[in-house]
Amino acid sequence: MPERLNLSKRCAVFMDLGLLKYSTALDLQIQTLQSKINKSVKEDRIFFVEHPSVFTLGKRGGEENLVVSRDFLTAKNVDFVQTDRGGNITYHGPGQAVMYPIVDLEKNKIGVKDFVHGLEEIMKRTAMDYNIDADRNLKNHGIWVKNSKIGSVGISIKRGISFHGFAMNINPDLKPFSWINPCGLTDISMTSLEKEIRKSSTNNYDLSMERIKNTFIKYFSSIFSYSIIKTNAN
Amino acid sequence: MKEISDLNLPEDVKYTKDHEWAKLDSDIVTIGINDYAQDQLGEIVFVELPEVGDTFSEGDEFGSVESVKAVSEMYIPISGEITEINEALEDAPELVNESCYDSGWIIKVKPADVSELDNLMDKPAYLDMLKG
Repeated sequence: MPERLNLSKRCAVFMDLGLLKYSTALDLQIQTLQSKINKSVKEDRIFFVEHPSVFTLGKRGGEENLVVSRDFLTAKNVDFVQTDRGGNITYHGPGQAVMYPIVDLEKNKIGVKDFVHGLEEIMKRTAMDYNIDADRNLKNHGIWVKNSKIGSVGISIKRGISFHGFAMNINPDLKPFSWINPCGLTDISMTSLEKEIRKSSTNNYDLSMERIKNTFIKYFSSIFSYSIIKTNAN
Repeated sequence: MKEISDLNLPEDVKYTKDHEWAKLDSDIVTIGINDYAQDQLGEIVFVELPEVGDTFSEGDEFGSVESVKAVSEMYIPISGEITEINEALEDAPELVNESCYDSGWIIKVKPADVSELDNLMDKPAYLDMLKG
């Protein structure tokens, strides 16, 4: 019977942007968001990206949580960008896997809370795939391994459509996090998948972005019931 | 998170598809976000308010609410001029969580055309929309 096509199923196009400047990726998010608002793009889009080193501020700032000077950042060749996402200051850099789902939450009847919870769940399960016990923490949103943060979430919603997303530390240089109070919190440390794996094992694990990407796709698809079509950015 | 049946949805206000509420008292409309929205957003840490005297058309963005999880824009359900903003929210944004229909109201508007309120949903219609 030809009754197998389910038109109501959630569908997203997944695009790997590779290593892309934060501001360029933000422009692409905003463009996509506008195209979805004016209905010229119907399907949801998910961007996967790594950024060259950058500090980003949340809608209400966070520069007070920068513990080094702007001149210091300029000398280290680290960008500084104001954004309209939730949350406080954060750092992005190579070795951190970032996902920006531009998803029509309203149309797909996904509540904000469920969506944020689901994004956290993707990071939690990804860590668990490497036998790292990661979970939520009452201190703050995001995903933690004991008292160290491994992944952060910060989304915005315009006309019922989400943008911004989450970032998980796979094997980045963690030093730049010490130049800020991440997310506005003092006395916390950041960790990465690589750092946690090394604590417990001498085995070699595949921490390639290709594998992480496919893990994110797998869990996004199962957690939010999406069929996902992969494309390459050009 | 609350079940739909646990939501506090008063009968005497109207609802928008973006989960705001609006209530007409004499010639002024009070607007806030409803119980579903505050519950979904979680602990609200900041409310971005317009200025008294600003004018908006129906559906315009008039501010945003920021929780520990997300920033969400708010859309005005009726055209008109802002006559009052809830200044208490500047120091106590959590009022939106604690009392979204009362001390957590967000703006008051002098409507240009009160009949625009007819486009909003009553409680049963809003519940139907939530249940999808």
